[in-house]
Amino acid sequence: MEAEASKVLVIDDEYGMREGMRRLLELQGLHVDTASGGVEGVEKGVAQEYDLYFIDLKMPDLDGAEVLRSIKLAYPEAICIVVTAFASIDSAVTTTQLGAYRYIPKPFDPDELNSIVKSALERRALILEKRKLQEERQRRLLELSQEQSRLRTVIGALDDGILVINQQEEIVLFNAAFLSLLEIKQEVHVGDGIDKVLPQEICRQIREILAAKDLRAIKQEVVVRPPAEKVVMANTTPIRDPAGETIGLISVIRDITELKKIDIMRSQFVNMAAHELKAPLTAVQGYLELLLDKSLGDSPELYEQYLRRSLERTRELVNLINDLLNISRMEAGKIRREIQTFRLDELLRDRLEYFREEIERRSITVTQDLQPIAIDADREEIARLFNQLLSNAVKYNRQGGSITVTLQRSGNYARVAIRDTGIGMTPEEKSRLFEEFFRAKNEFTRNITGTGLGLIVVKKIVDAYAGMIEVESEFQVGSTFTVLLPLSQQNETIQEQGNRA
Amino acid sequence: MKKILIVDDDIDLIMQYTPVLQQAGYQVTAAYNGQEGFEKFQAEKPDAMIVDLAMEHFDSGFRLCRQVKKTAEGQKIPVIIMTSAAHETGIALSVGTEEEKQWIAADDYLEKPVSAKDLVLYLKEKVFKE
Repeated sequence: MEAEASKVLVIDDEYGMREGMRRLLELQGLHVDTASGGVEGVEKGVAQEYDLYFIDLKMPDLDGAEVLRSIKLAYPEAICIVVTAFASIDSAVTTTQLGAYRYIPKPFDPDELNSIVKSALERRALILEKRKLQEERQRRLLELSQEQSRLRTVIGALDDGILVINQQEEIVLFNAAFLSLLEIKQEVHVGDGIDKVLPQEICRQIREILAAKDLRAIKQEVVVRPPAEKVVMANTTPIRDPAGETIGLISVIRDITELKKIDIMRSQFVNMAAHELKAPLTAVQGYLELLLDKSLGDSPELYEQYLRRSLERTRELVNLINDLLNISRMEAGKIRREIQTFRLDELLRDRLEYFREEIERRSITVTQDLQPIAIDADREEIARLFNQLLSNAVKYNRQGGSITVTLQRSGNYARVAIRDTGIGMTPEEKSRLFEEFFRAKNEFTRNITGTGLGLIVVKKIVDAYAGMIEVESEFQVGSTFTVLLPLSQQNETIQEQGNRA
Repeated sequence: MKKILIVDDDIDLIMQYTPVLQQAGYQVTAAYNGQEGFEKFQAEKPDAMIVDLAMEHFDSGFRLCRQVKKTAEGQKIPVIIMTSAAHETGIALSVGTEEEKQWIAADDYLEKPVSAKDLVLYLKEKVFKE
């Protein structure tokens, strides 16, 4: 790319002088503008920066010294050459003081002008070079500071705590999350030693890494608030120079409290599940040993009673395992649901029929008020849901009690209420109803078997359809379980059919 | 004939102990929670009590033992706590020292599982020293 021609402004009130200079300068390959007086010269000279200014000192409208001052004011680095026929020491001194680069007396020959122009342009080139470097430096500094503030902003906005330590065990960089995750209340400054600020576990981790030659990273859980109120994972990695020397390290602190809680809950669940599985098995084992030992004497009734009880407990065990499998399938989202539109009233009638034998055996009266309402769901799953609730209403009822089942519309929901006159629950029992393996223990429930997972399954099914379940209960009076499931779009048709019928 | 009161919320355990203890010549009566246990203790006047620790509450057995030992009748009879607490919580109970006896208010402490046969042996040798 060809360099742009240097631009010159010649300010002179004499036409001949102006044009003569223009020709000479253009021969030098310069781009020349002219101004025919001081005022015009200031206007043109300030409007843009020229590489060189030639200023006639004596002009009728505005003195050359004034023109020079104005231009210098606008462009302190402007190279101004004062041209005058009235050469005198005075004006030379004045103009030099004002910042003129050279002083050239008229008349001058072309060589003289050329040599001045040459040196002036060299000077100009230097000035421009310097200026470019300065600008570049400024821009780099700006970029650097922008870069740094960008980085600081990013690091500051991270949820994870970041901490950078140098070889001298001093803090080089940290963010707000780091302070809040480790619950550091004191003021922390860059340059602080780690001992002053950090928990011992993390200090130990840091020293281990700084001392080790070939350690990749250390991951460690740090309990900030015991026992598991707040737990963080500190992941510390060395920072190495190109020669492989450790020059510091970076520690990333992540909040794992929630994960820990889930972990604890999971192991509690496993523990409880194992416990619940063991109980019926141990019982069956005990019965079998008794039967084999002939410890029961020779009463066939007793033998039968013990075999029945073993069978009952075995069934319970199978039910429990089924419930566990259902729960885990639902939690893993592995349930394949075949969504279809079906009449909920029909399903409820069908389920009540299923329990009829047991209901009759216990002389329970059933009252039903079921509106024709359809829902969209997996029929089998909804059957399982109401099986559980109806089975509870039968199981926990009293001899000669009653069950009332109603189904009606409630806004956009089908509302099923199952009321029993059973043993009910105390407020404390009710509050723990949806806890895994919770079973109310009192004289009334002693002979009632159950897994303690039935209502967990119920709750999960209801949740899967974005429904709701509510419980009302009074101890020794009875309980009402109310389930709300979203209505099907098909209900309007059912209504019409109902209206026509 | 010695009468044993078993207080445990585990129906199967009671069903399994009962015939074996009966065959060994003991009379058996049972209760399924702390309150019922105290009522049976007062009504049946047993010669010994076997009490489960965790029934309706995790410490129902302790409460019942204290209640029983506060009575003159209760101080005369051996009351044995039977529990799987140590196994489940890792806390080993014992009534080796007087202080522990005071605190637990029981005369002895058995770690579940105890088979019906072992319970008979224990009653014969340790409790009634027959």
